[in-house]
Amino acid sequence: MLEKAAPVRRDFDRMDQIPEMVFRILQMFNFLIILYITLLSCHALWGYVHEGTALDFLLLAGRVPPLNWVIPVSGLLFLGCLEILLSVECNNHPELVSKLILEFLVVIAISYVTGFGYTGMVVLLLADIMRYTIDWQKRAMYILAVSVFSLMMNGNVLQRWMHVIPIDVVWSYYRADHVARLLGTLNIMNMINIYVFIFYMVILVLAQMSEKERILALNNELKRANTKLEEYASESARLAETRERNRLAREIHDTLGHSLTGIITGIEACIMLMDIAPEATKEQLRAIADVARTGINDVRHSVKALHADALESMELEDALQKLIDSTIRSTGVKISMRITTDLSHFNQDEDDVIYRVVQESITNAIRHGKASEIYITIDRRDGDLHIIISDNGVGCDSVTEGFGLHHMKERLEMLGGHMEYTGNAGFTIHALIPIRWGNEN
Amino acid sequence: MKLTFYKTRRFRVGVSIIVMLAAFFIMTGQYRMVRFSKDKVLTVGVFSDNYWGIHYGYANKIVDDAISRFEKEHPDVQVRYESGIMKADYSEWLSEQMMNDTMPDVFFILGDDFSVFARIGALKDLDDLIKKDASFDPSEYYKTAYDSGNYSGSQCALPYECAPNMMFVNKTILDREQIAMPSRDWTWNDFYEICRKVTKDTEGTGIINQFGTYNYTWNDAFDANSVNLFDEKGRSCDFTVREVGEAIAFLEKLEGLNSGYSVSKRDFSQGNVVFQPMLFSEYRAYKSQELSIKKYSDFEWECITMPAGPSGDNYSRLDTLSIAMSEKTTEEETAWEFMKLLTQDEEIQSEIFDYSAGISVLPSVTQSERTIKQIAEKTGTAFNPGILESAMVKTLISPRFRGYDNALEEVGIAVRSILDSKSNIQMEQIIWNRTLNNFLRSMQSENG
Repeated sequence: MLEKAAPVRRDFDRMDQIPEMVFRILQMFNFLIILYITLLSCHALWGYVHEGTALDFLLLAGRVPPLNWVIPVSGLLFLGCLEILLSVECNNHPELVSKLILEFLVVIAISYVTGFGYTGMVVLLLADIMRYTIDWQKRAMYILAVSVFSLMMNGNVLQRWMHVIPIDVVWSYYRADHVARLLGTLNIMNMINIYVFIFYMVILVLAQMSEKERILALNNELKRANTKLEEYASESARLAETRERNRLAREIHDTLGHSLTGIITGIEACIMLMDIAPEATKEQLRAIADVARTGINDVRHSVKALHADALESMELEDALQKLIDSTIRSTGVKISMRITTDLSHFNQDEDDVIYRVVQESITNAIRHGKASEIYITIDRRDGDLHIIISDNGVGCDSVTEGFGLHHMKERLEMLGGHMEYTGNAGFTIHALIPIRWGNEN
Repeated sequence: MKLTFYKTRRFRVGVSIIVMLAAFFIMTGQYRMVRFSKDKVLTVGVFSDNYWGIHYGYANKIVDDAISRFEKEHPDVQVRYESGIMKADYSEWLSEQMMNDTMPDVFFILGDDFSVFARIGALKDLDDLIKKDASFDPSEYYKTAYDSGNYSGSQCALPYECAPNMMFVNKTILDREQIAMPSRDWTWNDFYEICRKVTKDTEGTGIINQFGTYNYTWNDAFDANSVNLFDEKGRSCDFTVREVGEAIAFLEKLEGLNSGYSVSKRDFSQGNVVFQPMLFSEYRAYKSQELSIKKYSDFEWECITMPAGPSGDNYSRLDTLSIAMSEKTTEEETAWEFMKLLTQDEEIQSEIFDYSAGISVLPSVTQSERTIKQIAEKTGTAFNPGILESAMVKTLISPRFRGYDNALEEVGIAVRSILDSKSNIQMEQIIWNRTLNNFLRSMQSENG
């Protein structure tokens, strides 16, 4: 995706520069036309005086023309002025309007100097306005204003009112067929000017369109991403809240529950053993004290970080082994564990869940099932982690889901897993967790 | 970053406005207002020969006198002119000065050129100066002479010298035929009667060799019968009016006397024609003893007013040489003073009678004792000043619209064609009215 975007972007840059280039060409071309007209007019006016036909010209023209050198000099000065004005960027509408008025004045002055033989400078104004990104309603107003101005320039109203000598009258110094040729050249120049302008407009519109499309696409993408992000944010906030609450409840249940179950079972054993084997009883009580100490530590840790310390300092497999060892020592229940897969790649949350499932199942088996043997199997099949814990306890016909089972379920569901259990012939819990890291390979 | 951007933007706007003003300054020619020298120089446009085509050899005498007086009265002003320009080249010279932007501040303007130069806007509108100047009184001039400087409601020139069109009479023939000199308020009937009486074969060869009139044109007849052919702007004309019909009928009658013979200038100079319209300047020139032209010397001649038509009066055309100020002058006040000196100063104006052939535009000069005496002395006849006076009172000036000359030519063709066709004059008038109006319209649209 990112790799694709770069060349597209470069293409846009080029599209941006072409209108600017064409605009420059348009300006240069107008300069050439004005130069052409004013130099010819200057020469013609000089010629009348030189050849002694000044009176004939005045009779024909009906007014005194400007001094010959004044025409090219003032014409080019005005054009320079127009080009500077065109290069001024406007920030708001009042600025643009006043700039446009100034430009109108200058265009009128140039037309006056060129005997209204050429009014193509108007397209420069139009081209300039199109460069601004203004909404279409206002832009239409500007275009309308320039069009009306252009019409005014091309009708002879202004020409008459300003007492301008028409260009063909000034050029009548030359032979009639030459005048036709000169005027024809001017016409062709005028046409080329219009064509360049049209080209400019097409390029500009194309550039603006592709720019718009790009922006639109980006915008859509951004919108989609944004919605997703918002969904995520609210979900995760909600989840975090529930998780924390549940975790708190779980931690209390897991740590204290487990320790207390161990202690109770241990003490019951002690009561029976005390008279028979006082030494063994002592040993048993020491183990119970260990369990109680671990329980206290667990509670301390839970309060501190709400996290099982066994998992904090060691790998999942070792933590599980430690859990089983301590349970065997404290309760004397026979526990066997078989792990057929590598457990070292799970994330913290997965570790937690696996650990808690095992811990809770052992606790349940001892507390509710009165089991003396527990079998734990953890293996991997079809991308899922299967944890099966069964015991030889009393089992039950109908299971009332207690706090422990419920939480186990919840924890599993958070990882996209689930669990099944059955109470016939002991109690068997079958938990299933999809493996994340395994799928990526 | 933002600050420098703003700065450059402001800089650009500033530069563009300065360039715009500079270009405007150059385009409108305002840059000429900037002068580094403190000397006031007034340039004058003059032609070196005489307006009336008569060569006295006093080239620029009157202007020179006026300049030396003016420079004495205004020591800070230098008046300059280019000498050696002939009247024939003067219009072209003025046009070239105009196009080279070196137009003299004050310049003489020929009668025919006035409307052309006024139309192209080369002449300054003097109305403001006249209004400001309390000492200036237009009624000091002959009214028609003053009005000849008016272009569409604005005074654009002041009259300098003028000459009315008058009727010249071969007194020798009248005496021989025992006909009395016509009176000042004579009419077409008197005119026709005299012409009828004198038109005859005096040598008995069977060919008419003595004629009533030479060069009495349709223009003279239209003037005499108060024909106002064109409207003010020359957009239309009314050729069907009764006055036109009367004038054409009279011309037809007059021509009928000659039995198809076309009278020439030679007939007049040989003393065989009684009447010829002529500018007063021409009369003065040829009667002048100093020139001693023997051209018309074997007969006595006299001048009187033009004959009056039935609907008009004894009107005659006035030819005026005027002085105008350049529209682009930078020395308005000084130029105005100089114009006043040339046209309103009695001393300068009276020099016209010494060194030129026209008459002064000031009645106070033209009708003074000194002038009357001078004219009488120079022409060698007892000049009746009353005739000149009444002629000056009843003078007309040509309308001043664009293409007037072309329109005049068209009317001439029309009149000639009606006279030659011998058909019903009124019918012809209606037909030609259409043609003339079409012509005026096409001329208007052509000229914009």
